[in-house]
Amino acid sequence: MTLRLIYTTTAVQKRNVAASGPEKYTEAFIKNQIEEFNLGKRHLANMMGEDPETFTQEDIDKAIAYLFPSGLFEKRARPIMKHPTEIFPKQKAIQWGEDHRPFHFLFYTGKQSFYSLMHEIYGKLLDIQKYEDHLRAQSLLAENRKLINLIGSRWLIKEELEEMLVEKLSDHDYSMCIQLLERLVTLPCCGIEEEYVLKFRRELAIQLKKMVIEPLQYDEQGVAFSTGEGKRKTSRATAVIYDNGSGKITVNGVDYLYYFPVMQDREQLMFPFQFLDRLGIHDMICTVSGGGRSSQAGAIRLASARALCSFITENEVEFMRQAGLLTADPRVRERKKPGQEGARRKFTWKKR
Amino acid sequence: MLRSVKGVICQGPKLDSGYFLHASARAWLSAAVNQDVQIPAEKPRTVFRTSESNPANHAEQHEGQHYSIPLQEVKVVFPHGLPCRFQMQMRTFNESCLMVRKPALELLGYLKNTNFAHPAIRYVIYGEKGTGKTMTLCHAVHYCAKQDWLVLHIPDAHLWVKNCRELMQSSYNKERFDQPLEASTWLKNFKTSNDHFLKEIKTQQTYMWSKRESTEKGRPLGEVVEQGLTRVKNASDAVGVVLKELKKQCPLGSFRLLVAVDGINALWGRTTLRKKDKSAVSPEELTLVHNLRKMVVNDWNGGAIVTTLSQTGSLFKPRSAYLPHELLGKEGFDTLDPFIPIQVSNYSQREFESCYQYYLDRKWLQHERASTEEGRKELLFLSNSNPWQMERISAYL
Repeated sequence: MTLRLIYTTTAVQKRNVAASGPEKYTEAFIKNQIEEFNLGKRHLANMMGEDPETFTQEDIDKAIAYLFPSGLFEKRARPIMKHPTEIFPKQKAIQWGEDHRPFHFLFYTGKQSFYSLMHEIYGKLLDIQKYEDHLRAQSLLAENRKLINLIGSRWLIKEELEEMLVEKLSDHDYSMCIQLLERLVTLPCCGIEEEYVLKFRRELAIQLKKMVIEPLQYDEQGVAFSTGEGKRKTSRATAVIYDNGSGKITVNGVDYLYYFPVMQDREQLMFPFQFLDRLGIHDMICTVSGGGRSSQAGAIRLASARALCSFITENEVEFMRQAGLLTADPRVRERKKPGQEGARRKFTWKKR
Repeated sequence: MLRSVKGVICQGPKLDSGYFLHASARAWLSAAVNQDVQIPAEKPRTVFRTSESNPANHAEQHEGQHYSIPLQEVKVVFPHGLPCRFQMQMRTFNESCLMVRKPALELLGYLKNTNFAHPAIRYVIYGEKGTGKTMTLCHAVHYCAKQDWLVLHIPDAHLWVKNCRELMQSSYNKERFDQPLEASTWLKNFKTSNDHFLKEIKTQQTYMWSKRESTEKGRPLGEVVEQGLTRVKNASDAVGVVLKELKKQCPLGSFRLLVAVDGINALWGRTTLRKKDKSAVSPEELTLVHNLRKMVVNDWNGGAIVTTLSQTGSLFKPRSAYLPHELLGKEGFDTLDPFIPIQVSNYSQREFESCYQYYLDRKWLQHERASTEEGRKELLFLSNSNPWQMERISAYL
């Protein structure tokens, strides 16, 4: 007599979702998505009245922002329409064939692309050395030194290398790779493989977005003046600094001694001038709104520092920047979270 | 304070970690130089001090200089006139030095040229907070005391309209209220400053204090004052009597009278005092204020009335108010009109320099950077040449 299964729990029948790993997209699926994207792009262009042929990604973004306005603060949560290769994460195609034999010879190392890359780089290194020996034999080594210019660029970071290889790396692997590349670069004739090596270099971002220093403006009497704006928390301030002054400062029409009765705020105002040793030289007229007394003082300080940049040399601007006078304070009031009494403070914990 | 400049630098966002921040760009440039810049040669002592201690001889060449008043004189002339911070400074430095300033010189010039046949001219000293109005008044009081005038100095009229512990109904006039404590303190100080006058001036009328006590006609005014001091209940009335007598007798010419009131805007403002039934007391209902108002009207001659406006002790007035019109109100302005306004402003360059040198000389500014040029500029900026601020800041250093 066979036993017949009458009833089983749902737990047994449920497929184990976590064990199967991240969702795999087939190539056909990706191709489908790309076609749909292109079609959608043309439809969107027609909707917006633009030419479908010259509809760029920027136009798509603007159109989506117009058609689906979103008030969400997190930019990544807003509706987007991008090429499927940017949306779906890069995945490795199935690496074995019908007979379940892997295509790549290094498949069983686990990190096949990484080890193949290492082999490739080492192969190039050996090539360069062979070329070097060849030149040395012909004693043309001295003239044919070709070095790669590495200034202004940096090696790939680990995340970028992982992205390139679509594989997880460990720190040790990454450091090995970079060491090998460094070794390659030290050889005198590495110029042959320059474009290959440059694939692993990224341009360093320009040190800081070069601050535009306004030239001095002159008013009717010929007195030089310059303006600057500053903000701190919720205060916004504008300052106009005149030359040929005697250190008078007017804030919102009132003398600074009466607008800021607290010494701390006046010290904040004094800071840029004292730093540049120009205390009794300039006159200042500023307007400020919003915030409390301390943030208004900070806003005026930033505004006056920015305005002073027009009067001083480049070196002094750099000193001011390093002293922190030209940077806007990014601290703002943190939002109160539900379930807590304040931004960080939790409710009193009761054991029972 | 100067040391906390570095603390101010550290408050800026620390984006460049590892950079050691210097206090000034120059220090950054010359990081190798370790020594401070030498202090420039000290100015001679006479620049900020003058030996001329008689205000009658103060002229424009003394402007900006400090003159000292011997402590004995201070006790007699100013039993209650000087601001309390100045009194503390006096005790610390063991001398009292007043700065000769332009508004004071102007006022002294007017006082010197008063025509005693004409009605008493009223001078109102006004200005922003902390610019030296009370000190100008004290300078004038000192001058008049030296010139042997009778000085009627009310140190702060605001003290009479607020914070009164005992408010009694006046026995003389049922509507009004007496303030025995304030009146008796004032009488005591008045006695110290004008002792010799009180013996000479005689009353011209009999005053009945109660069923058994009275002052006959022809008795010296000192007796009225004594009566006020011993019988505290009658102190306010005693004050009223003194004022009335002085006003009546001054035109006769035997003495000059200076009425010096500090904070005169208190007489026409509001009070914080309340009656038993929690309704507010208006200034007219106070005996002292009522009598003082009569004093300030210019229907007598033979002297002068010098007053100051003061926002500091004033009640229910915004901090930015300093003009006579704002602080006196319509009523006060009409009563005091016409008057000669004298404006007192912040220190000029010379005066600030003089004040700074004085503090340095008395070793009041202890901070090592205070004696340098940078320290001086910093003090100038932070105080904006305001005497009150300057005094408060230097107290920290």
